[in-house]
Amino acid sequence: MITRAARALRQTWTLAAHDVGQWRRAPWAIAAALIPPLALALLAYVLTFNLGHQPIALVQEGHGRYSDHIAGIFQAQAGDLYSLTVTDRASAMRLLNSQQVAAVVVIPPNFDAAVTRCPALKPTQIIRDYTYAQSGCPAAQLQVTLNNANHSFAGEIRRALAETVAFFDAPDVVTPVSETQLDMSDLNPYRVNVMTALTRANTVDYIHYAVIPCLVLLILSVGVMGTALLCARDIERGTARHLALAPVSPVVLIAGRLLGGVLVSLVVIVPTLAVAALTGMIAPPAGHWPALALVFLATAVCAAGLGAVLGATLRGARAVSMAAAVICTYLFFLGGGFTTIQFLPGWLRHVSAFVPTRYAIDGLRQGLFYPGLYGFGADMRVLLGTAVVAVVVGGAVVRRAWSR
Amino acid sequence: MKPTLTALGGGFRAEIQSLRRSRLLIVLTIAEAVTFLMLVSIFGLIGNHVPTAVVNRDGGKLADQWVQEMSATYHTYGVRYMDARSAEQALAQGDVAAILWIPAGFSQHMAHHTMIRIHFVVDNVNADLTNEVELGIPPAARAFAVTNHFPGIRVLTAEKDLVRHEVGFIPYLVVSALALAAFVVAGTLAASAVAREFEARTLAYIKLSPMHPLVPLAGRLLATGAVSAAAVGVAAVLVIAGYGVTPDHPAALAAGLLLCVVIFSCIGAGIGTLVRRTLPLSALIFGLALAFYLDSGSLEPARFYGNNLWVVAHTSPVYYAVGILQYAVHGLQVTPETIGVNFAALIGWALLAAGAAWLGLRRAVVT
Repeated sequence: MITRAARALRQTWTLAAHDVGQWRRAPWAIAAALIPPLALALLAYVLTFNLGHQPIALVQEGHGRYSDHIAGIFQAQAGDLYSLTVTDRASAMRLLNSQQVAAVVVIPPNFDAAVTRCPALKPTQIIRDYTYAQSGCPAAQLQVTLNNANHSFAGEIRRALAETVAFFDAPDVVTPVSETQLDMSDLNPYRVNVMTALTRANTVDYIHYAVIPCLVLLILSVGVMGTALLCARDIERGTARHLALAPVSPVVLIAGRLLGGVLVSLVVIVPTLAVAALTGMIAPPAGHWPALALVFLATAVCAAGLGAVLGATLRGARAVSMAAAVICTYLFFLGGGFTTIQFLPGWLRHVSAFVPTRYAIDGLRQGLFYPGLYGFGADMRVLLGTAVVAVVVGGAVVRRAWSR
Repeated sequence: MKPTLTALGGGFRAEIQSLRRSRLLIVLTIAEAVTFLMLVSIFGLIGNHVPTAVVNRDGGKLADQWVQEMSATYHTYGVRYMDARSAEQALAQGDVAAILWIPAGFSQHMAHHTMIRIHFVVDNVNADLTNEVELGIPPAARAFAVTNHFPGIRVLTAEKDLVRHEVGFIPYLVVSALALAAFVVAGTLAASAVAREFEARTLAYIKLSPMHPLVPLAGRLLATGAVSAAAVGVAAVLVIAGYGVTPDHPAALAAGLLLCVVIFSCIGAGIGTLVRRTLPLSALIFGLALAFYLDSGSLEPARFYGNNLWVVAHTSPVYYAVGILQYAVHGLQVTPETIGVNFAALIGWALLAAGAAWLGLRRAVVT
């Protein structure tokens, strides 16, 4: 019994090693598997720098205390909310017309006089006479000219400007929960003090959050394409029949093929992880490496199973490579690889609940970024369940294709 | 002239027959192009309407109004009223990104303009989401105060917009994505047609024909171009019907997309000549399309990225194509260059790409 099992394992390993060798000798297949994840990683990386900092021009025509104060706020918030160019009105309009800035903000010469006309509130002031507010004090106006070509960046600019203006009137309208003092500053006319508390101990920067899931895409792409191409090649060259006639159990043959697919993924991901860890790109909390290894292994098994289905179903290496690229991209995007799931509308979040890569990406982020492994068990249950289904279905489809 | 046309037609017919035999490939190529439209649509959903639970313990009119202002201000929050327990559960499960607790007595405090504290709990899953969620609060508080004419508001903004009809983000993105869809479809089909000649070693036979070997190849590229044009046309119809976008200048849209198909077919032929293998072409072109997407003004006018990236964008035909398509569909000028200049640049690109493909193929055929 033990001898038989050892023999079966040896045969499985031999087949898997042979598949890895075949894949290593196909540089174009390797390129086809690596290009999409690398391109997406690059895209995520560069978009992180480019989005959310719209260029605006500031023209300061008033030069009193309040004009200088609000100009100072603009300069202090530049870099966080927008990129800022301080210039004169004519140059600003030239920059706007040549699309070098998306908006021009003018602090008019009468800005100080208008601000001075509006008395600031007293901390304990209770107002019963609304006529004071509605007729007594026309507020100072910042003149904004906006290139509102699309709703997204125009909204971003409007919100950033509202933030800056709010900071002028009420600098502490939002305060972290660690500050226990209620904002009673006479500058807060909004009369609310929003205390923010964060639920997690640390906030992950967006570059790591967006780029790291590309590791899942890498395993997926290599695993799916590697296994699918090996299966497709067997059918294309007629070697599938030889395999079916070999005096080896079909279970061993299929296990060898799927193990080959898993190994192909691991051959790529292990050195990538080593480089990422050595360069400090990833630094998981102590003790999380086994959890991460489980995520990668389960994803690789899912990928091998899916690849087996694809390779045995489709005809031709080209069709297989295209289908693999499309499917992997969908799985990655719908799994939250390029977005934060919480940002998506309800229906899309419900769709993503049925995408197994979501659990791989969630598990990977939890294992890499956060001190605890909250929700990791549930993620792994779904992922391992999917892996089992993928292996069973993949094995059945390959077996059927070989016997035809 | 007639033998040339016969050879050209022969190549065309041969490629059409080949494509008819591999319908799955055409379906997959179109699926790749539609993938782009889908993906940019998903990307367009990021950052808007972050699901946020509101636990309203006040229930007064002003509390409701505060939440409405929060919901309406720059589309940052997608507000859902919940009781405390459901809200905490939803936050723990990732169904909402934050909880705003409106305390009892809020409306009374607002009516009397006295200070009150609101608690806001944020799931800081990443810095981007945390910033988005936190940045939305001051504008919401400000909008509420301005609407109710609260005293002490000393600064307002007076906005003048350059564009009369502001375009939604997703309609903007999908129009840009048409150029990239053209790149994926035309590039993949043309590159495959050329690479297949190398892979199957049929170039040797073509060279033996009494006609110049590039003529039947040009016929094949004409066929892939025709199929690509049809596929891009389907994608354009999908955008118009599916996203409710009506082109302002349909002729400019058709001309822009047709030029894209010509340019990308030629670029695809060049890639096919260089790679000479069909297997990695689709992945390579998909990867290149992502690079083009990044720096072509697909998300917003390319110059807003800064001058360096804008200069680099000029080296890609997608930049000019996006300029033309945004003008044709939405009437927007998203490049500092005029539409005439963009058309001239695209025609120049078409000639350059055709010349480069011709030279590359000729060299490959000779060797």
